[in-house]
Amino acid sequence: MLTVENLRVVYHDVISVLNDVSLDVKAGEILIIIGANGAGKTTLLRTVSGMIDFYDGDIIEGDIKMEGVSIRGLDATDIMKRYGVTYVMEDRPIFWYLTIEENLKAASFSRWNKQIKTDMEKIYDYFPVLRPQQNKKAGYASGGEQQMLAIGMALMTRPKMLLLDEPSLGLAPLVTEELFDIIRQLNRSGITIVLVEQNAHAALNIGIRGYVFETGRIVLDGTAQEILENEDVKEFYLGSGERESKSYKDAKRYKRRKRWL
Amino acid sequence: MKKRTFFVVAFILALVFLSYGAVCAKEIKVLAQFPMSGPVGSLPEFGWGFIDGMNWVNGEGRGVNGKKITWYLEDFRYDPTVEVANFNKYTAEHSRDELLIATGYITGGLKPLIEKVNVEEKIPWIEGSYSTEIWGEKGGPSKYPYYYSLGGTYGNQIKLLMKWIKDNHKAKGKPRVGFVYSPTAWGRDGTPEGIAYAKKLGFKVVAEIEYPYSATAATNECMQLRKAKAQYVVYHGYSGATAHTAIFFKTAKKILKDVQLMGTHYTTLRFTILTGQEAFDGYVGVSTRPIMDAVPRIRTPMDNPMVKLAHNFAKKYRPEEYEKGLKAGGIKEMFLYTEGLMYAFLIQNALTDADNKYELNREGIKMALDNMVWDFNGMFGGKSFSWKSHTIPMLRLYRARVEMVKMGDKMVPTGGVVPISNWINTDEIKW
Amino acid sequence: MIDLLQTLGSGVLVGLVYALLGLCIVIIFKSSETFNFAIGEFLIIGSFLFYTLFFNETIPWYKALQLGAVIFLFFSFILFYDKNLRLRIALPLGMVTGFLIFCVFFFGLKLSSLITSSFLRFAIAFPLGLLAAGLFGAMVERVTIKPLLGRSPIAMTIVTLGLGFFLRACVQLIWGSHAYPFFLDLPDITVEVGDLLFLSDPIWAGIISLIIFGLVIAFLFRTRWGLAIRATSEDQAKAMAFGINARFILLLVWGISALCIAVAGIMISNFGALQVSMGFVGLRAIPVVLIGGMDSIGGAMAGGILVGICEALAGAYVEPLGLVGFKAVAPYLLLLIVLFIRPYGLFGTVRIERV
Repeated sequence: MLTVENLRVVYHDVISVLNDVSLDVKAGEILIIIGANGAGKTTLLRTVSGMIDFYDGDIIEGDIKMEGVSIRGLDATDIMKRYGVTYVMEDRPIFWYLTIEENLKAASFSRWNKQIKTDMEKIYDYFPVLRPQQNKKAGYASGGEQQMLAIGMALMTRPKMLLLDEPSLGLAPLVTEELFDIIRQLNRSGITIVLVEQNAHAALNIGIRGYVFETGRIVLDGTAQEILENEDVKEFYLGSGERESKSYKDAKRYKRRKRWL
Repeated sequence: MKKRTFFVVAFILALVFLSYGAVCAKEIKVLAQFPMSGPVGSLPEFGWGFIDGMNWVNGEGRGVNGKKITWYLEDFRYDPTVEVANFNKYTAEHSRDELLIATGYITGGLKPLIEKVNVEEKIPWIEGSYSTEIWGEKGGPSKYPYYYSLGGTYGNQIKLLMKWIKDNHKAKGKPRVGFVYSPTAWGRDGTPEGIAYAKKLGFKVVAEIEYPYSATAATNECMQLRKAKAQYVVYHGYSGATAHTAIFFKTAKKILKDVQLMGTHYTTLRFTILTGQEAFDGYVGVSTRPIMDAVPRIRTPMDNPMVKLAHNFAKKYRPEEYEKGLKAGGIKEMFLYTEGLMYAFLIQNALTDADNKYELNREGIKMALDNMVWDFNGMFGGKSFSWKSHTIPMLRLYRARVEMVKMGDKMVPTGGVVPISNWINTDEIKW
Repeated sequence: MIDLLQTLGSGVLVGLVYALLGLCIVIIFKSSETFNFAIGEFLIIGSFLFYTLFFNETIPWYKALQLGAVIFLFFSFILFYDKNLRLRIALPLGMVTGFLIFCVFFFGLKLSSLITSSFLRFAIAFPLGLLAAGLFGAMVERVTIKPLLGRSPIAMTIVTLGLGFFLRACVQLIWGSHAYPFFLDLPDITVEVGDLLFLSDPIWAGIISLIIFGLVIAFLFRTRWGLAIRATSEDQAKAMAFGINARFILLLVWGISALCIAVAGIMISNFGALQVSMGFVGLRAIPVVLIGGMDSIGGAMAGGILVGICEALAGAYVEPLGLVGFKAVAPYLLLLIVLFIRPYGLFGTVRIERV
């Protein structure tokens, strides 16, 4: 469905963030991307969704293709409208000062029509906690509700592919679990999902395939199961490797990279 | 080597030649400054008049006994600091022997230049402002020997209005007078003298209102005057070309229905008829000039030779602009054009006088101006003046007559300011 | 008592116009965190566009041609900018619109010869003039603000400062800088009860400002576009991620803002005359928005009325005591007091904190 070829992205013309990233997303799967902070996961999502311009980033090499057609350089709105790619930004991208209902309406701006009402009902069915709070300002909702609202808003755009950026950020484990359940449900209903996560264990458990990012490169790819079982991943992301005492000194990136490459 | 020597010699020769030429051919230089843009509006007519006048002087007018005048024209954007800076620049650039006369146009620029003009440079300075402080009783030639003005002071103008009130007051009781003036050096000049004189005549001064530069509406000012039950309101310190004047007259006409609106020279213009329209009807004002322009222009009385001359000049040299009138790029107000023109004639006259009778330098021109007896092309009813007092003490009272007439598909104002008195020599009045 | 009523009344009427000015600043500030310092110039240009249509004033052919060319370029620019599309639409649309603008400004609308009723004439020329002003605002946004989207708001604010000087010079070139007579001739609705007197012009100004204010609010809070504007105001990136074209929304906001400023400009010009130097009126918006709160629409209304009343009271009660010229300072004094008590303005947003 989505192919990224040799992508190279810089911010402010100097800060290189993605180097030669190539990956592909197959229709109907849940793709997990994990990696440390600053590895370029978010940048990848921004680039795919066409938002990179806004952050003063440039694609200096490579191409992004949606079903074989290049979408490089298209506006975020165009990508969303034509290819149904919706990007759910990290840290609950909701409009704090609008009510929950208005939030959902705002998200459906690009496809305003009669079906909005029924779609909204559907969202409320998905996330029953939102229904009683319709007229409450979104900023006052709890973290979990906000994240659900964010996903609900993304659904209002009728996406074919959802790019989720750390949906579990700052949520309680139980809420995270609930959220991942919902993501799995969405996937079953036919939406392709690209999930960027720090909570690697939970993510990999629902994922089908995965990539591991490290300083702007893909260092590992494979099925979710393979990644889960990788020693390094276990050690650095899942925290359940060998029981030796580890200090931060050992966690230096270049050492690990040596082992991987 | 030879080549280089040749160039050096040639260069030195050229320098010597040039400087010799510069020393020998002593030019006659003149600096004129007008507020052609800025907050009072765009008034390029000043410049057009001056340019046409100077071109005529240097051409048909034969310059100063055949010598051409080099003139400089500057726009100081109604900003005193720019006026001062321009003057400083020109005096620094040009030698004392060459730059012989300078002119200015606003009250604000006069005061900072007192020292520079009268003590340091000693250059005759012809001014468009009628500042009371400079040419009134407390100033005058003894104090400011190089300042010359072309009309009665603002103080005298307001006093004359008071005198008119005294003569024409019909209602019972003492006249109640209100003053509205701008918070500029101009607006504050003359008002105190006028108020003092009003009190001396026994009038009640019921309001003194500073009408701010940032005004968007004049409702408060007018309500204040209404509350104070003013019968006469003197408006001073904004030219008729600004929106402020229009705001004030439009509001005053509605709120102060039975009040006699009055004003000084720069409000008694054609501009106020155009922007104030009906609201300007009935206004009584003082002017230092004859009627220059009426609406429509054809109705301008041409009995004054200087006015006629100016109109002919404009028709001849600026036919397009003269035709356009109020439209953008036209001569909106003949007063401005005439003013520029008159400066040119006056400068030629003074320089020629100085060349004939005295020396052609600053002192000579001062002598010429002091002893000049000229009728200003018949501007003041054919009378000639000596300029001993450095002002022309002539004033005249006018009343505005405005009528709305349907012209084509629009209602347009027609009319003008009509003289209601003869020329009054303020020196001869016993105040 | 009547005196006080009179003062308060006239203060409120002018205050409503100020509120509209404040609104223009607030909606731009909310959507792009930019303070539009070119507001005075927007005011003049809007008024002049209306003036040209209403008074059947024409401008010389070369200036009309310039205007037409600028509009043409704008349309080409606005549409070409989208790299992939609309090449075929841009050129003809730009040409047609440019030609129409040229015709209107060269031949005049001839409204006055077609329609004799001045009120009807006003009713036709007013929306047209406002539309022109709105288009102009959009054009300015496209050329100067859009390239800076995503950069620091300070950069945009500085750009508006420079823009102000540029536009002022443009107005002086096209229309000159003398005062133009300005008579709307709206039906006389002067209210005179005993000593109480409210003039027709300020009442009209108040009413029309209030209507426009209400329309803008209705637009913002009742329509889908308004919702998009409010969403974009909160966060451009989020809005873009949910398929709201933040760039177009910004264009829309600037257009609406320019339109409202034009209304205020026309109403203020109607008090007196229209002149380039009237642009300083736009700066009244500064105390208005700072008192009301930079990001509060209701605050703009409150701030506008407060400033109007404050000016009126100062003019009526403080100035006669001998404090001449106090009126111009009074709003700023009030501003100082308000900022001491509430640093974000009276209705400035209190940040939502989750408990």
